[in-house]
Amino acid sequence: MVDIAQLVTNALVLSALYALVAIGFTMIFGIADILNMAHGAAIVTGGFAAFYMVDALGMSIWVGVLAALVVPAIFSILVYRVFVKPIEDDQIIVIITTILILLMTEHFFRQIEGTRSQVLPLLASGSTDLGVVTVQNNRILLFVFAWISIIAVFLFVNRTWIGRGIESLSMSPRGAALVGVDRNISTMTTFGVAGALAGMAGLFFGVSQGVSWDMGLDPLLIAFAIVILGGMGSIKGSVIGAHIVGSLETVTVTMIDSRLTGVVALGVMLLIIVARPHGLYGRPGETE
Amino acid sequence: MSDQMSLLGHLRRKLTITGLVGTPIRYYVAVLFFIGLAVAPSTGQMDVLNMLTWTASFYFIMWVISWDFVVGYTGQVSFGHTLFFAAGGYTTAILNIDHSVDPAIGIVAGTIVAALAGLLYAIPALRLEGHYLALFTLLPPLILLRLFRMFRDTTGGSRGLPNPEPLIEAGSFSANAEANYYLSLVLLILIFAIAWVITRSDTGKIFTAIRESEDAVESAGLNPAKYKLFAMVFSAMLGGFAGAVFVHTPSGSASPSQLLELAVIIEILIASIVGGFGTITGGVLGGFLVYWGRDWLRNADQTIPVIDVPMADIDILLFYGALLVLLYVLAEGILPWWYRQVDRVLTRVRGEEPSAVADGGQTWLKRQIGSLQTRYDENREENTGRFEDRRKK
Repeated sequence: MVDIAQLVTNALVLSALYALVAIGFTMIFGIADILNMAHGAAIVTGGFAAFYMVDALGMSIWVGVLAALVVPAIFSILVYRVFVKPIEDDQIIVIITTILILLMTEHFFRQIEGTRSQVLPLLASGSTDLGVVTVQNNRILLFVFAWISIIAVFLFVNRTWIGRGIESLSMSPRGAALVGVDRNISTMTTFGVAGALAGMAGLFFGVSQGVSWDMGLDPLLIAFAIVILGGMGSIKGSVIGAHIVGSLETVTVTMIDSRLTGVVALGVMLLIIVARPHGLYGRPGETE
Repeated sequence: MSDQMSLLGHLRRKLTITGLVGTPIRYYVAVLFFIGLAVAPSTGQMDVLNMLTWTASFYFIMWVISWDFVVGYTGQVSFGHTLFFAAGGYTTAILNIDHSVDPAIGIVAGTIVAALAGLLYAIPALRLEGHYLALFTLLPPLILLRLFRMFRDTTGGSRGLPNPEPLIEAGSFSANAEANYYLSLVLLILIFAIAWVITRSDTGKIFTAIRESEDAVESAGLNPAKYKLFAMVFSAMLGGFAGAVFVHTPSGSASPSQLLELAVIIEILIASIVGGFGTITGGVLGGFLVYWGRDWLRNADQTIPVIDVPMADIDILLFYGALLVLLYVLAEGILPWWYRQVDRVLTRVRGEEPSAVADGGQTWLKRQIGSLQTRYDENREENTGRFEDRRKK
């Protein structure tokens, strides 16, 4: 019984982190119609931004949290403005370019920090007894922060002018143009928000597993699976997809083999992509 | 049989004086290039290490050719070709190391496994388009890499397998390197010739037609799915074969960094695009440039001014940076660009009117997107104004 409760808490925390990565990825896909592989680079940047704040500048971890939000957001916007915008019509070139940016970011940090994984301090020490299961305060905070961000993004997209503009652009660029949505600003905002979310996820992965140069690729691949599962461009689908994939992964990793990380998610994704390419919440017409 | 006859007849016609004069210069350049590669080891300028690097570059180029064969012609995106190289290479290496199967048989088995992988990969790909296809093709090599890490005992995990038995052996180390150099060169010429002939045949025309419009191909009574499947499986065979032979040369081994990682396919993609997408010949040129650019950076002894870091220390970063720049500067491809220049000069020399390019030299897709973009921008400007007006009221 305790085991199951432990499993559920693990799954919930992991799913929330995956949702952070997937939402940004799917938003960028929805609005700009590109697969932004550099999203993985934003995760790495977030992790290292926090690490440098804490380790090199001796700030508290909370300044690190702030850095992990701001630096990747700026990084993402720059990636869009400098590299992606001039070539955004050519899907293949965009994918190659963003993969190159991912590889460059990875090797940049590998060059500076080496292959060793760096430790970030916990957000909070101690643990709390939740009745059936005892959870580290740190994990509770991760979960709470992740959900605050997810809800904030929901509110942002559904309640604010810019957010609705973003939503409308991903539904119908022409319709959005007709009501006067500025595509450029909306896209940049999306990249900024996505970068901040990815950076936050990077920080959280860093807190729980350490910051290393190759920490970006695995969550990015799982985000693919989630986004495909939930339907490309759908935020609600991503959150649900993240919980499906996160739970599956927790179960397989604890019950079968810890080296299975990612394999199941990717396997599920292969099946989905073949059987129902538009996912749970995507619109079938969008596969074109 | 009739094909062979016509090929012989064709050759006989070509080999007369007028035929030889009429052949475009670029064919002679290609032949000279291969002859140059064939005589290079006997000039004594090439040491053993150099020869091994050349050998490895030949396999890299074979992979570029196999990628260009399907993606450049039929237009099906593939980020997963490393799957085939690894299927070929690992099959023969595992057979040889664990079951001491003869390399020659192992290579055949590797090629067959790669072809099967190609079939399994191509069938779902038929149903997918655009981003979904791109995502789908990215996955199989990544999953395979994870599986390799799981079954570390058989596959060697992230570090790869030790060298299997060589395919050919010739006494001393240097003689061995030379023998492998020639073997690889022959294979390169063979694969180049096969890909070149097929893409220039009627089948190649159908491939190109599929890239431009599948509906048009279908309305001509041809089944695009059949040709796409053929292209992918054949390309997988070529790539798998090259991968299988590669692990039996002194230059290569069955390891993820040489056969399977994301970086490998990116280098291949960029080599093909920089050389000239959908030309095969461009792939050869781009392959040499990218491979030797990488090698030069790795061994560069210069130090970068200002930040004072030796170039060889950050070679990977510089290499990716250079590829990124190349992608922007030479997205059209060196060979297509060169042909255009030559064409322009020739028309001017001959005093002809420059032939009007109906589409402004752009691809069909780009034009469509361009016109959509213009229309959309116009709409937006117009409506933004209207919207602002209304809000002011």
